[in-house]
Amino acid sequence: MQTVTIKPRKEIKISVEGENISPDKFGGKTEKEIQSLVAWMGNQKTTIGELFSVKVEGSGPAADTKIVLEGDFSRVKRIGEGMTAGLILINGNVDMHLGAKMSGGKISVNGNADSWAGREMKGGELIVEGNAAYYLGAGYRGESCGMRGGKITVMGNALDFVGEHMCGGEILVKGNTGILPGLSNNGGKIVIGGNTSRPGSEMSKGTIIVNGKVEEMMPVFKLEGDEVVDGVTYRKYTGDVIGNGKGLLYVK
Amino acid sequence: MELLIKNGAVVDPVNGNKGDKTDISIKDGKIVNKVSTKATVIDAGGRLVMAGGVDAHSHIAGAKVNVGRMMRPEDSRSGISPRTKITRPCTGYTVPNVYAMGYRYAQMGYTTVFEAAQAIMKARHTHEELEEIPIIDKGALTLFGSNWPTMDFVREKDMDKLAAYVAWGLLASRGFGVKCVNPGGGEMWGFGKNVTGIDDIVPSFDVTPREIIVSLMKVNEMLGLPHSVHLHCNNLGNPGNYKTTLESMELANQVKASKDRQVMHVTHLLFNSWGGTNWGDFESKADEVANFLNNHDNVTGDMGQMIFGSATTMTADGPKQYANAKLLHAKWSNGDVELEDASGVVPIYYVKQISVHAIMWAIGLELALLTKDPYKMLLTTDHPNGGPFVNYSEVIALLMSNKKRQEEIKSVHEAVHAKNKLPGLDRELDFSEIAIMTRAGTAKVLGLLDTKGHLGVGADADISIYDIKPDQIDPSVEHAKIKSAFSSAAYTIKGGNVVVKDGQITATPPGRTYWVDAKVPQQYHDEMMKDIVKKFKNYYSIQLANYMVQDEYVTHPQVVKAGSVPVEVN
Amino acid sequence: MTVITDALCPFCGCLCDDLTIVVDNNKITDIKNACKLGSAKIMGHHRIEAPMMRADKKSEFKEVSYEEAINEAAQILFKSKRPLLYGWASALCEVHKKGILLAEETGAIIDNTATVCHAPSTLAVHEKGLPSATLGQIKNRSDVTVFWGSNPVHAHPRHMGRYSVFAKGFFQEKGRKGRKVIVVDVRKTETAAMADEFIQVQQGSDYLVISALRAILSGHADVVPESVGGVPKEQLVKLVDTLKSAKFGSIFFGMGLTQSISRYKNIDNAISLITELNAFTKYVITPMRGHYNVTGFGQVCSWETGFATAVDFSRGAPYYNPGETAANDVLMRKETDAAMIIAGDAGAHFPADSVRHLARIPVIQIDPYWNPTTEVSNVVIPVAICGVEVAGTAYRMDGVSLHMRKMIEPTLPTDVEVLDRITERVRELRGE
Repeated sequence: MQTVTIKPRKEIKISVEGENISPDKFGGKTEKEIQSLVAWMGNQKTTIGELFSVKVEGSGPAADTKIVLEGDFSRVKRIGEGMTAGLILINGNVDMHLGAKMSGGKISVNGNADSWAGREMKGGELIVEGNAAYYLGAGYRGESCGMRGGKITVMGNALDFVGEHMCGGEILVKGNTGILPGLSNNGGKIVIGGNTSRPGSEMSKGTIIVNGKVEEMMPVFKLEGDEVVDGVTYRKYTGDVIGNGKGLLYVK
Repeated sequence: MELLIKNGAVVDPVNGNKGDKTDISIKDGKIVNKVSTKATVIDAGGRLVMAGGVDAHSHIAGAKVNVGRMMRPEDSRSGISPRTKITRPCTGYTVPNVYAMGYRYAQMGYTTVFEAAQAIMKARHTHEELEEIPIIDKGALTLFGSNWPTMDFVREKDMDKLAAYVAWGLLASRGFGVKCVNPGGGEMWGFGKNVTGIDDIVPSFDVTPREIIVSLMKVNEMLGLPHSVHLHCNNLGNPGNYKTTLESMELANQVKASKDRQVMHVTHLLFNSWGGTNWGDFESKADEVANFLNNHDNVTGDMGQMIFGSATTMTADGPKQYANAKLLHAKWSNGDVELEDASGVVPIYYVKQISVHAIMWAIGLELALLTKDPYKMLLTTDHPNGGPFVNYSEVIALLMSNKKRQEEIKSVHEAVHAKNKLPGLDRELDFSEIAIMTRAGTAKVLGLLDTKGHLGVGADADISIYDIKPDQIDPSVEHAKIKSAFSSAAYTIKGGNVVVKDGQITATPPGRTYWVDAKVPQQYHDEMMKDIVKKFKNYYSIQLANYMVQDEYVTHPQVVKAGSVPVEVN
Repeated sequence: MTVITDALCPFCGCLCDDLTIVVDNNKITDIKNACKLGSAKIMGHHRIEAPMMRADKKSEFKEVSYEEAINEAAQILFKSKRPLLYGWASALCEVHKKGILLAEETGAIIDNTATVCHAPSTLAVHEKGLPSATLGQIKNRSDVTVFWGSNPVHAHPRHMGRYSVFAKGFFQEKGRKGRKVIVVDVRKTETAAMADEFIQVQQGSDYLVISALRAILSGHADVVPESVGGVPKEQLVKLVDTLKSAKFGSIFFGMGLTQSISRYKNIDNAISLITELNAFTKYVITPMRGHYNVTGFGQVCSWETGFATAVDFSRGAPYYNPGETAANDVLMRKETDAAMIIAGDAGAHFPADSVRHLARIPVIQIDPYWNPTTEVSNVVIPVAICGVEVAGTAYRMDGVSLHMRKMIEPTLPTDVEVLDRITERVRELRGE
């Protein structure tokens, strides 16, 4: 078991690209090696060690690596990008692209996550105790698939475009979301605990369940009737009718 | 500046060299008889030396390409490399940025590339991009097949005015040749329709594609243009279209060449050699097309080979592109150009297990293997329609190795066994034939054989050296080595400058832009201009005074002169 | 006295090219054919006459030489860790190329004014493509024209006369009489007043209305509620019929769509509507670009970097992600530590928080005119006016590129010269 604890040395104002903060990159490395991993801050190339204090206990491969981030990481992006195994625990807020393209392992944030958390996720688990921002579990501009697998849980709220272009996997937002969750959905499951608006536009497959209020329904869903899901009665819709979509939208 | 390449195994079919060790002397950007002792020496070490690659049909610059980039940030992000001391950043795979376009061609040993199609009204844009493509010599073919003036003069059967229009259009667009895409269809697409065969009448203009093609061929030869009419046949991409292709190619018999070359070049034949009647009974008719080429000397073609994986279809065949998008449920860009032509851009992904794609892939290869004379079938992928040009080495390896082809056939949809002849073809092209399909033949088809495509005295010093020894390699067995060697040149020399060494860019001089300045008798020009002036007064949305491409957009011109010659017409 | 004919107007995306300019003693004395907006731009107004600098934004500006100002600008950018180069839309393509190179050299983010305007259209194009045509196609063929969230009478005064409504064309010999004009907007604009049909939608509901139209068009009118966005279903059904009846339909859209709720998804949805209409008859869609060369920036940036705008060069290779790399994204997060604003007025058009942040960091302004951006600048470098004093390339809203003439001789250096010198100085500072 390897545990690496990272703390920012001082306040970070210009965003840092932290794609090397990942069990895959830390696994099996010494403290010195981890410190010398590259990190970019704006247009300055620097190292993990320059920006963060690094403490390593034990050793092990990626799958046995736990990274604990203590402090404010609200200006550190791409943490856990592409990770395949291991655990990242963030005790603070974190910047964009958290866990982007991850395919395994687990990330847990004791704070808020900025936009594009879980972008193009393929597997693994991402938990945000606080709030998420825009494009949670979404894709990259122009791609037809965003999230393909894995599970994202947000205990607080999220903003617009949750699960945009989702092709698989599961997103659960306990609080409210912004507009257009499940946009262009082609698979996967989104569950919204609170309120939302304009869900499921251009859906072709997949499932969206809304437990709160839907402020505005898209005029493209066909009401099928009532259905009970996990003991709760919902109005069940299919759509988006425009593309003969077979998506399922459950509204309380 | 003198350079001497020693010890190269030179494959130069134009000058009869099939791999003999020959020294090549270069002075001031040209190949010469010999150089002084002060010359820099490159020891080719017995490795393969060819003239720099010449590509006659590739979508490298202009409005369509840029729309492709704008539509596909997901493509741009897939081929990124940062700037270096001498190179700008590169992006993209099917729609590279301008710098990647030049560097990547050079890295493959290519030194001359022609943009396949530009509308006159948007030619300024094409040249802005061509100007920024480093290293390679280039040019652009100008669209004439659906232009209102073309159709008017064809209807009036006035070849003198048509010739004057083509000459003026080439000047206005700084174009190199006459491009004809789905003739007549561009106008039909103005109201969302299309032509279905070469004898359909285009309403409001009362001409048929047949008449347009024949008339353009006539004036092309009247003007003695270096290249022949370059035709993208009607009915592209429709099962059964091989009939239209054969009918179109027959038209070449109606005009005699004014130069030692074809009178019609038919492009990306992969997409126009289809049998069957629908997607269900779709099959290859490459053999029929190849058979035609084998029996005629006045028509040439190029493959338009398909490469599995990501591609971006982009052509002036507006209606076909819309149909593509609908079929694929893909995003779609359309770009009609008033009074001129159409265009459409649609991303695609070619998959081995999709029967239609597998059959198409095999068709391209059949065209090359069944056409006996490699001068008649150039190697292209209709970049990026069939696939990105960086994959030319894959095509070369497939043509040189039956073993590789058979391995690939095992991995694609089994339909190729029933619908194609490819599995039974064991012909393997040799280095000379490849050199013809990628250099000598292209130069001949384009009318540039004096300075391109060969390594004789007087040729431009555009040379590529590949890391294989032709006398020590069996391409059939070692196809992986062939592919890797042709992907990344050991040396690329452009105009006597080493621009690539071991696959890395070492210099980025600007290339030249070829365009044709054709002269016609003044009275015909004046008559023609009266009609043009009317078109601008009433129909164009810009002023005639602002239409033509200005000098500042072509900073390194290479002008080829041409002009009216009396021509024998059958 | 010289008369320049077929001159181009450097104001809006119409890029009218039929102007006549009369010049006397290097002054423009008469302009024919331009609209009020274009004339005002060409005639110009009081200019900044010399470069000026101030160490802190509360003090008065001090006049300095070009040499000093350029050196200071280079120093600021060289030292910066997250520079922003913004504006560009009122400059020519030749300037854009220099800007992109400077962004590469300084590891900066480069973004243009589309960010507060039509950038959402670009995002929509990533999703759906852009089925469009040159303006002459509309002039010659279009019999149904829709202005959605766009008010050309006000913002593109000659559009309807030259291209879309009053123009006569090959297949539209009757001009206005042969065309049906429909306006969709949140209030009755001047354009709506002269249209054949006006459909009023509730603020922020364009997205829903477009989806409803698409549902009706695809044969699913049954799921559409009785009223969408304040528009009765009947009216929507009728509109679909009208749209389908066209021989050649055209939709022009503006800020009403790009800047209301759902923003780029509004355009995205509209593009899908056009694509779906093409199954029935010919349709094209065109964005009503504001500045005369904002389209040009998108073109140049795309072919040079692979991305249309909002490009981040901090790691030496282009990275594009609006929402992360656009000007206001980094300004609102207070990340930008230096900015150069050229041919664009951030001070006037940016959200208050962004402007507040600009007031805190070193700002270089390159512009012929004093404007709200000047108020937050430290280094101000006046330049010749593109399209009036400097010739070069611009792209019309439909992507047609044209060469702008020089009307009078410049008395100040050009943007290109200034950027060249700044780039050279940056290289010197880097030790090259």
